[in-house]
Amino acid sequence: MIAALNGAFDDISKAMKLHRVWVALAHEDIGDQHRRTTLGPLWLLVNYIAFVGTFVFVFQPAGKDAAGYAAYVAIGLLVWFYLMEVMSMSVALFQREESFIEGTTLPLFVYVMRLALQSVIRAGYAIVGCVVILLFSGSHLGMPWLWSLAGLFLILFTTPPLITVFAFLGAFFPDSQFIVGNLLRVGMFFTPVFWMNKGQDPVQKYAYEWNPFTYFLEIVRLPIINGEFPAHAFIVTIIAALATWAIALLLLGRYRKQVVFLI
Amino acid sequence: MVSIKLDNVSLVYKLHDKLTLSAPDRRVGGPGGRIEGSGRKQFVQALDGVSFELKAGDRLGLVGPNGAGKTTLLKVLYGIYEPSGGNVAIEGKVDALFNINIGFRREATGRRNIVLRGLISGWTEAEIEEKMNDIIAFSELGDFIDLPFKAYSQGMAARLAFSVATALDPEILLMDEWIGAGDASFQEKAKRRMDELAEKAGIIVLASHSEALIQSVCTKKMTLTGGRIKSLTPEPVKQTETDA
Ligand SMILES: Nc1ncnc2c1ncn2[C@@H]1O[C@H](COP(=O)(O)OP(=O)(O)OP(=O)(O)O)[C@@H](O)[C@H]1O
Ligand SMILES: [Mg+2]
Repeated sequence: MIAALNGAFDDISKAMKLHRVWVALAHEDIGDQHRRTTLGPLWLLVNYIAFVGTFVFVFQPAGKDAAGYAAYVAIGLLVWFYLMEVMSMSVALFQREESFIEGTTLPLFVYVMRLALQSVIRAGYAIVGCVVILLFSGSHLGMPWLWSLAGLFLILFTTPPLITVFAFLGAFFPDSQFIVGNLLRVGMFFTPVFWMNKGQDPVQKYAYEWNPFTYFLEIVRLPIINGEFPAHAFIVTIIAALATWAIALLLLGRYRKQVVFLI
Repeated sequence: MVSIKLDNVSLVYKLHDKLTLSAPDRRVGGPGGRIEGSGRKQFVQALDGVSFELKAGDRLGLVGPNGAGKTTLLKVLYGIYEPSGGNVAIEGKVDALFNINIGFRREATGRRNIVLRGLISGWTEAEIEEKMNDIIAFSELGDFIDLPFKAYSQGMAARLAFSVATALDPEILLMDEWIGAGDASFQEKAKRRMDELAEKAGIIVLASHSEALIQSVCTKKMTLTGGRIKSLTPEPVKQTETDA
């Protein structure tokens, strides 16, 4: 256990010293994904706005809830798409990096950070769109936005271990790539991304309370929507983040040398 | 002090370690390491009781039939594979050239790839900047250096890979069958650079099927078969081999 943790910290600290590598590679990745397109990464912004627009158009409730709904969906989709992308890209992470893993001695955490940074950059475009939608839909910049920002940082803090856990899952259990992909697609309907929990429908209530992703969404959304500090959501998220870190460190410490034999 | 010391190193590839829902596929053995076990628990003994020592200035040629364990041994030396048994002790800064495409980005230019490779090897930006012109000159790629890597021929890729890997004077250089792609003039140039490297008290380990290349570059030759050392010439002074 102690040895595993030492191994993990060793891997992580080496990766942090090599931060130039993953920063450079993440930028290459973004560039590659949008090579030869006219809008380049701006497509990410266009996609995001199109999605929010569609949801608002189809699901916007009538009456007094209407105004807040755009803000609700905008933040919900921002966080959900980010988490979904992180998880679905992670399961095949080590397989994708096969040629680097089999040809260099880079610590595995370098690949984790490369994906993390890449996802954050991509989400950055959506954040711009989200802020614009929030301002247009009548939210006012104010103190509660700082709580949302803290929520974003908490999500950021959870990203590397989340990637690590899913990457090991995908390496040891290749079928999980398809299972996770499908679960995430279904998961959108069981997470309060675009529906609101009114506490009347028991399925909805259950999905709201027992889905950990609910809280990741709510720490960013509730401060802006309700202007309050969602203490409960923050506590649940912090516990989830620490648990993910613990699992990730153990996996990294114990199994990092095995990965090269598995991919 | 640059040195390599392997003590009774073995390496096993497990074939069905992954959890999967699919039925285990039947892998059929060819030449090479021994396939053992059956069903879900098959494994290949790629290295078995390998012990040897190299000192500064040594140039070891690794030979042996396909699947003898040459590439595996180089990857153990580089630190990519943790051996399943035995001890590896290495002193010195190691650089390696495996498959020439490994670690290069196809979409990026040669120049950008040099930067990336440098960063991966732990160089600072200043060091990369300083070496850039030398690397480009040595590779003789000329204007092609600003074209994407995917536009390179095999030999051009080999030139770039070799130029980068040897630019920062690695103390230990591991090479796997890379040189075949370079043309005669580049092979000559590469050989001179390897000579320089060995003279600066470095160690070179080169795996190749080309007897001529091994003859001209190496001072020692090790023959592997089925993951075991069959012969090592010249014989080490102290006979420490214990396994029959
Ligand atoms: N990733 C792997 N998974 C399972 N077995 C492997 C793997 N890589 C190599 N082997 C096995 O290990 C043995 C040694 O392989 P290795 O690649 O080291 O041989 P080699 O001497 O480099 O051969 P060649 O001359 O063809 O390059 C072979 O029997 C091979 O089948
Ligand atoms: Mg080989």
